[in-house]
Amino acid sequence: MKQSKDPFEAAFEESPPESPTATETEAETQNPTPPPPPPPPPSSFSGVAVVALNPQQPQNQKVKNKDNEEEEEEEDNMDVELAKLPSTGDPHKMAKMQAILSQFTEEQMSRYESFRRAGFQKANMKRLLASITGTQKISVPMTIVVSGIAKMFVGEVVETARIVMKERKESGPIRPCHLREAYRRLKLEGKVFKRSSSRLFR
Amino acid sequence: MSNSSAGTSSKPRTASSQPSETSSKRKRGVFQKELQHMMYGFEDDPNPLPESVALMEDIVVEYVTELVHKAQDIGSQRGKLSVEDFLYLIRKDSPKLNRCTELLL
Repeated sequence: MKQSKDPFEAAFEESPPESPTATETEAETQNPTPPPPPPPPPSSFSGVAVVALNPQQPQNQKVKNKDNEEEEEEEDNMDVELAKLPSTGDPHKMAKMQAILSQFTEEQMSRYESFRRAGFQKANMKRLLASITGTQKISVPMTIVVSGIAKMFVGEVVETARIVMKERKESGPIRPCHLREAYRRLKLEGKVFKRSSSRLFR
Repeated sequence: MSNSSAGTSSKPRTASSQPSETSSKRKRGVFQKELQHMMYGFEDDPNPLPESVALMEDIVVEYVTELVHKAQDIGSQRGKLSVEDFLYLIRKDSPKLNRCTELLL
């Protein structure tokens, strides 16, 4: 006489080793509901340069209030592995970078972290671009590009301001007079866009 | 004495070098927090001066405004902005161009 298999056993045999337990699969066959979508990855510090986040970081986060969103976002992403650079570069370059990073002091590492992570928030940049153009159709790539250009421009201005300070034999934080002089020099070099003719209609 | 007179005479010029047509309309201090981190990363003090950060914000907004207006002027389709217009504008600035193409990948 042929013995009919227990449905529990059948389900257990059918399920692959990594699949959920047999009782779960049995329940799924009875109620075929789609599985919930995976939680979105935690958003990065809106930086232009992407830094590898700590893998031990909790993935599923609660829905936040709009007021506390920015502060909590920063707190969530505080653990940063600066040694891990994007995997797109060649291994020789990465090894070189690892060697340099291992020599960093605490202050240098802190500064490097700020350099890597700082960037204009996409929402703010999108709002600014929308106010300039007068249209609400601002694409994400455009926001990314303008944020990247703006960040590099800030670097140029600060770097030139430091040169101005060295020339004047001054120390301490950068003052507005140094920034103005740096901006003037960059304008002379042609690195700042000047309108050729006055715009009639804005 | 000469310093003070030079300072007063140079004040209007610096003001004219920072035209802020959008600064009167927009909400100020939007990028303050990010710019503090950014300036520290680019070799400033850990706590940059608030007035320096405010001025830097005005400079950046002015720069972005000019950039967008230029992009609108040279745009392939009038009134419609695209990423290519920005890339065309920075074609001679190779570090910026390389960085932007890297970001778009």
